[in-house]
Amino acid sequence: MASKRQQEYRAQHKRYKEDVAKEGKPFFPYAIYHDTIMSLVVVVVIIGLAVIWKYTADGTEAGMLGPLYEAKADPGTTNFVPRPDWFFYFLFYLLRIFKWPETVVLGTVGIPTLLLVLLMTLPFYDRRPERAVLRRPVAFVAAILVVISMGVLTWKGATAKESLGSETLSLVPGWAEQEGFAGNPVAVEGAGLFAESGCLNCHVYLGAGAQNLGAPDLSAEGAKGRGIEWQVAHLKNPSSKTPGSQMPSFASLGEENLIKIATFLEASKGPVK
Amino acid sequence: MAKSARQAQIEKAALYPLDWTEERTGLVGYTKWFLFRHVPRDVNWMQTLGAATLTAFLVQAITGVFLAMYYKPDPNSAYESIQNISNEVTLGWLVRGMHKWGASLFIILMFLHMARTFLFGAYKYPRELNWVIGVLLLVAGMAEGFTGYLLPWDQTAYWATVVGININATAPFAGPFIAQFLQGGAQIGPDTLAKFYSLHMLVIPGGIMAMIGLHMYLVLRLGVTSPPWSKTAAGRPRPDAEPTGDRTGLTREPSSEETS
Amino acid sequence: MTDAADNEEETRGHSLWPIGFAIGVACILIGLVVSWPAVLLGAAITIVSGVLWIREAAGTHGPVDFAAGDALDGGTPSPALAAAEGQHLETHGRAGFLTLATIGLGGVIGAAVTLPSIGFAVLPSFTGEGIETNPVDLGPLENFPEGMFVITTFIGSKDQGEVSRRTAYIRNNGLSAANDPSFTIIYSRCVHLGCPVQPNGPKFEDKMVTYRDVTLTPVQPAGFGCPCHGGAYDTEGNRTAGPPVRSLDRYAFSIVDGNLVLGKHFSVGTVEGTAADAKISRYGQAYPGVHVDGLERWLYPIPVPGA
Repeated sequence: MASKRQQEYRAQHKRYKEDVAKEGKPFFPYAIYHDTIMSLVVVVVIIGLAVIWKYTADGTEAGMLGPLYEAKADPGTTNFVPRPDWFFYFLFYLLRIFKWPETVVLGTVGIPTLLLVLLMTLPFYDRRPERAVLRRPVAFVAAILVVISMGVLTWKGATAKESLGSETLSLVPGWAEQEGFAGNPVAVEGAGLFAESGCLNCHVYLGAGAQNLGAPDLSAEGAKGRGIEWQVAHLKNPSSKTPGSQMPSFASLGEENLIKIATFLEASKGPVK
Repeated sequence: MAKSARQAQIEKAALYPLDWTEERTGLVGYTKWFLFRHVPRDVNWMQTLGAATLTAFLVQAITGVFLAMYYKPDPNSAYESIQNISNEVTLGWLVRGMHKWGASLFIILMFLHMARTFLFGAYKYPRELNWVIGVLLLVAGMAEGFTGYLLPWDQTAYWATVVGININATAPFAGPFIAQFLQGGAQIGPDTLAKFYSLHMLVIPGGIMAMIGLHMYLVLRLGVTSPPWSKTAAGRPRPDAEPTGDRTGLTREPSSEETS
Repeated sequence: MTDAADNEEETRGHSLWPIGFAIGVACILIGLVVSWPAVLLGAAITIVSGVLWIREAAGTHGPVDFAAGDALDGGTPSPALAAAEGQHLETHGRAGFLTLATIGLGGVIGAAVTLPSIGFAVLPSFTGEGIETNPVDLGPLENFPEGMFVITTFIGSKDQGEVSRRTAYIRNNGLSAANDPSFTIIYSRCVHLGCPVQPNGPKFEDKMVTYRDVTLTPVQPAGFGCPCHGGAYDTEGNRTAGPPVRSLDRYAFSIVDGNLVLGKHFSVGTVEGTAADAKISRYGQAYPGVHVDGLERWLYPIPVPGA
């Protein structure tokens, strides 16, 4: 009644039991010795990390392994950038990939659940007795792909920067120096407004920015010679200057601020070599 | 002769407590069986990852029990108690550090152990259920990471939990109910922290310990696999005709032992 | 003999009543959360399938044990009947009773301990216990200059303290067409997964004022942005980019003795128009990431009680 494969499996396991009884070595002390060495390594690494953590950090000040604790939880914060623990970075970045409202549930629940089910039921669809990895090409390739994609997602999650005021404001002095407008206080002020006002949620400036919705790189916007007036009018009503633009109006920032931003854009003639 | 007789007497006296226990519990016999059972002679360094994972879990269990003596699961005092453990309590920094970094190591080791099992094809017959239990342990371990992350009640803790709970809330049909159960109400409030604490230190670890017990029982019952590339792998296919005399000379080659 | 035993296993294994019983219990548990009629329905299913299950379990003993008894006697034909009878009596009269009683009493003990505990663990989350309905006083209207957003952080519930601190972006729209005061009060949590959205524009920290435990900081945003997964909103809270599934949540408001008082929290599908003329499609408070309109709302058909 048992299938041929089932019989093969049973015979193999019977041979295994016999071989182990005949040719095997006692767990103690041969195998347990290695286990103990490995466990010692684990404990030493844990204690080592704990010591390095404590002695290079001080309270909320980060050391080599981050701070001992962040500021106390503030449910009403408006300038905190949340990040998960490192082993959830892959999920964190996966959620960024699904940037369309209709697909949110795929990233949050769909794909993780599917992967988990596939992982858990692995022995029930991979039923060949073959164990050598090179003779399991599908499993081998799938495993490599999973490891690579998890690695890439984790890496992208760990290095992800969101271009919001609280993060990008600190870049302004560097911009001023690289683009050579440090001597122009109006442009520097405009750069601050530019950084604060979410422009980099879509645009890119000197490598910073989220590059969304096909928005252009503005690092050399001033080289186009459009003039401050054009820039202000564009900021007030983008589609009047570039028809079909998805950019929202920034008129609510006020004329004075718009002129500052326009000055900054016109002063951005590309990085000075 | 007299000397060896005395030696025998001393030995007997020393072994008496063991014999006494064995007669009443049988535990000594079980322990001996556990220690001296055979494993394949070609087991590999990679196969120590399971024991390493267990060690990491034990570190978590022990440090966690003692952290519970100083930690206060209340939104108004949790953060201060973490500061107190890190800065004031003698050796508190070490135990908390071990718990924090042990958690990361535990997760890494679970993944490595799983990768080893996959590489060896060790999830195949008759070890299918042990793979399933292992995946459940991985899920439980990640759940420990998620619930434990809230406990320091700092900014990352709070907001990562907000996002985590809302991820659950997006599951079709049941999602909002799961989220509301986790929060203990419509918002993250005073009950949320206590609930996460209870899940983190009682509910999930209880499940993990039970599953580790089952996992290890199955390992003992089914045995550990030889590396599939080993020429002396236990359970290797034999030629149909059985000239056993020829084979022994070949298979006793020590060269392929312990490829690390 | 073994055949007979196998048969017995078969008939028991294929009974559907235990499944009905389980469905009934599940229905009761879900009903306790959702609605009373569901509890009654679940109770009915549980009782009916339970009774049928017991009847069936008791019924299968008769013929099967007869055969077993026959075989047990090892081929003595004439007293076989009597022996089978004895066996039958044994199972029905004592062993069978004990088996059923053990399972039944064990079930009662298990249910008596676990059901209240699980109910205790799960139900309070859905009864709305501990939800403060006291309105939050945000202070005099002078603190909200017309046409300007103000970052307002406040304690949502005095009992809960700091854990209930929330932030809203409030804009005084002046008077509406009907000469009523109008405020746009946007909740600061992203409707993708609940991260704190930030106003995209200069803050005026020097003009910050406080009123009791409320802090008010004027800001001039061109929109709002979320630092987690890149959601972006305009000044009405409508999504302009990224994954958010609806517009930012809002609060209702009232004006009491010249003070702005926060009202009910609600979710928003979309907002048409701006400021005082905005037409808001209003829904009950939903979790972030949950669609309230469009086809996707059918993914979340059951409203969560106690929210």
